[in-house]
Amino acid sequence: MLLHYIDLSWRSIRNTPVISFLMVFAIAIGIGITMTSLSVYHMMSMDPIPHKSGKIHYPQLQIMDEGSEWHSSDNMPSQLTYRDATNLYNADIDVLSTPSFRSGFSVHLNSIDVKPRMEPARLVNKEFFDIFERTFIYGQAWTRDDQKNRPYVVVLSKEINDRFFNGENSVGKEIFLDNKSYRIVGVTQDWEHHVKYYDLNNGSFNSPESLYIPFAIAPLEEIGSWGNINGWKQQVMRGYQDLLSSESVWTQFWVQLNTEKEKEAYGQFLMAYMEDQKEQGRFQRDQLQYGLRNVNEWMEYNEVVSEDNRILVALSFMFLMVCVANILGLLLAKFLKRAPEVGVRRALGASKRHIFLQHIVEVSVIGIAGGMLGIIIAQLGLWGIRTTNGYYADLATMDWSMLLAAPVISLLASFIAGLYPAWLVCKTQPAIYLKSQ
Amino acid sequence: MLDIKPILSALRRSKAGAVLLFLQVALTTAIVSNAAFMINDNLTYLNEDTGYPQQEIFSFTVMTFGKDIDLSQQAEVDEAMIRNIPGVINASLSQAVPLSGGGSSTSVRLKPLPQPSKEARLAYFYGDENALETFGVKLIAGRNFRPEEVMITDNFHDNGPNTIIISNMLAESLFDEGTGLGESIRVNGRALEVIGIVDVMESAWPRAEDSGTTGIIPFINAQNYQHFLVRTEANERATIMKLIEEKMLQAYNKRVIINVDGLDESKDSYDATDVLMMRMLMVLVVILVLVTALGIFGLTQFNISKRTKQIGTRRALGARKSAIVRYFLVENAIVCAVGLVLGSVAAIFLGRALMQTYSIDALEIQYVVVTALFMLAVSLLAVVVPAVRAANISPSIATRSI
Repeated sequence: MLLHYIDLSWRSIRNTPVISFLMVFAIAIGIGITMTSLSVYHMMSMDPIPHKSGKIHYPQLQIMDEGSEWHSSDNMPSQLTYRDATNLYNADIDVLSTPSFRSGFSVHLNSIDVKPRMEPARLVNKEFFDIFERTFIYGQAWTRDDQKNRPYVVVLSKEINDRFFNGENSVGKEIFLDNKSYRIVGVTQDWEHHVKYYDLNNGSFNSPESLYIPFAIAPLEEIGSWGNINGWKQQVMRGYQDLLSSESVWTQFWVQLNTEKEKEAYGQFLMAYMEDQKEQGRFQRDQLQYGLRNVNEWMEYNEVVSEDNRILVALSFMFLMVCVANILGLLLAKFLKRAPEVGVRRALGASKRHIFLQHIVEVSVIGIAGGMLGIIIAQLGLWGIRTTNGYYADLATMDWSMLLAAPVISLLASFIAGLYPAWLVCKTQPAIYLKSQ
Repeated sequence: MLDIKPILSALRRSKAGAVLLFLQVALTTAIVSNAAFMINDNLTYLNEDTGYPQQEIFSFTVMTFGKDIDLSQQAEVDEAMIRNIPGVINASLSQAVPLSGGGSSTSVRLKPLPQPSKEARLAYFYGDENALETFGVKLIAGRNFRPEEVMITDNFHDNGPNTIIISNMLAESLFDEGTGLGESIRVNGRALEVIGIVDVMESAWPRAEDSGTTGIIPFINAQNYQHFLVRTEANERATIMKLIEEKMLQAYNKRVIINVDGLDESKDSYDATDVLMMRMLMVLVVILVLVTALGIFGLTQFNISKRTKQIGTRRALGARKSAIVRYFLVENAIVCAVGLVLGSVAAIFLGRALMQTYSIDALEIQYVVVTALFMLAVSLLAVVVPAVRAANISPSIATRSI
């Protein structure tokens, strides 16, 4: 029966090519616009590491004395002081954690053949690679011992290994960052992500760093952060050592907590740490407070998806509604024109249900066709975004879920448009039309 | 006269069509007026004067890894070298690039802490006596820095500068009109005397609310990561940008030169997301209006095809063609008017909802009015063709098939 209905709708569409094309086109435009904005939104808000996002957490500490205000929704700084980051990392608690911040170096091989290049780098501890599941092509992460005693080691990304070493195994070789030589211990796969969720501080859609070096290098080489350094207290800053001991926040911190229980225990640990610091004269406030958000909560808190984007998604859905209203009108015209034919069918014994189904199938065919054409229009739109704005290059794409969502939304839209006309036409009284034949 | 009564009773008989038309017009009005407002808001911002001759200026970043030189001295040498390139007007070291999205700011007050005092936000650029000419901003009062006023040190707090040049907007927010010159303001704990006031000078974040309250501080503390600004003759800029890396590396080679960008390019990439948003809204508005117009066209066509016989009968009974055209125009105008009124109300509500949820200015009422009038014109235009066609229906049709 379904095949028969599809055949009928195909004939009907062929009989009224202009009006059918207009309907398909209206759905397609609506879907195209909606999917363009929805795809960008989806890419921005997508869980970046689905199987682990609930386990990776970002701790925040309320370090300010009573009376100071921070410009965040919960009045807490979004980074840690260098002091707190090192204390938390060195604390005697059995979890994977790592401090982290972004910086950069001119990278060269100390020869005149290869010109030095400026490369962004991330200063982390060895746990970073485990927490974020970085896979190594050659070698591995540095060891705890390296970190402590021989910190001049580096992990390269594939991209930079290709450039400097032609993609060969470079483990054990030396590379120069600024004027210091570092031993290469590993080469990781390039990190492809839409949202740079592990560092929302430096632009949520920035590119990943191409080098990783131990956090312990920071005080040795006096490495400044390429991110924000925010203070809340009047303090004298005369040099790098003052920055390390200051109350300014500029370090990020990640910790992996596998179960609710571990999370609870870590929360208690943070509280105990703050109590301890309070006794030493910091955190002068009545109510100690900490934050412990997982990856998705952290992205939400940092408003990764911009307001503009939400507005655009809302507007494009309203646009789709206008298209639906349009199609509704066209369907009404089309179906009612066919009333005499329906009258005859009813008289010959077709039930209301049959008539209704037949028309709904016809609407679905239009909806699916519109959805397909809509995907093409959305691809055009996304291509337009990619070419005009490099920043969105990775975001303005459709993944599988969006490709599937397009025909579903399109079908839904066409149902909404088709229900009333189909219902109207199935109510046709056979007698009226038989009379005038 | 306008056949309003028969039109209304006819509408009552085919409610669905009228309701659809009215819904479309209402939604379109709501969306278009809000989008137009946002587009205009963006355009106003993009066309704002930043104070800089953007076509004449470019910036680049120097990352020095050699440790065998004094960075500040090298910066002076570099500046002199760049100034000698033919076509260059002036060059200056600065810790931040205007309009680029990355810079420094602090709060500024008139009296030292903890006394109560007027406060304002100050986005500042460190520079020497060449900065004023390099930035190309217009001095409207006072004078430029003297070379001896420029402090080359790494300790702002103890032996930093004593003077500052501020933007007119900062002067206005701190002092009464026409004064300010010679007064002193507190920046990071130091008292700086205002020796010059410049006209418009935007900060590194032109999009920000208070981006006009800026200043130049005569302070040089060259870091291993440092920006240079160079102002050239507009037509020489591209050539000079191409050879700057080579010239800089010739002068000293243990460093990397990156981000050689024209100031207009820096601003463009800072604005890129806004521009993208605006373009998408524009596309949305244009297509939306087209779709709605097509919808009105289709519905009128449908109405006419349903009423072919009636129209024929009316013509046979002596109605003029103009009467038929007028009938459809008036019918459409009535439906649209209702839609427009409802749409305008919806637009205002939508605008208010957007304003509450997001940091958007309140929708101005004239946008709604203009959009409503525009939509009325579009809808009438969409009706004219089918209406004229209806008027051409021959009276004989009415009599043929009965």
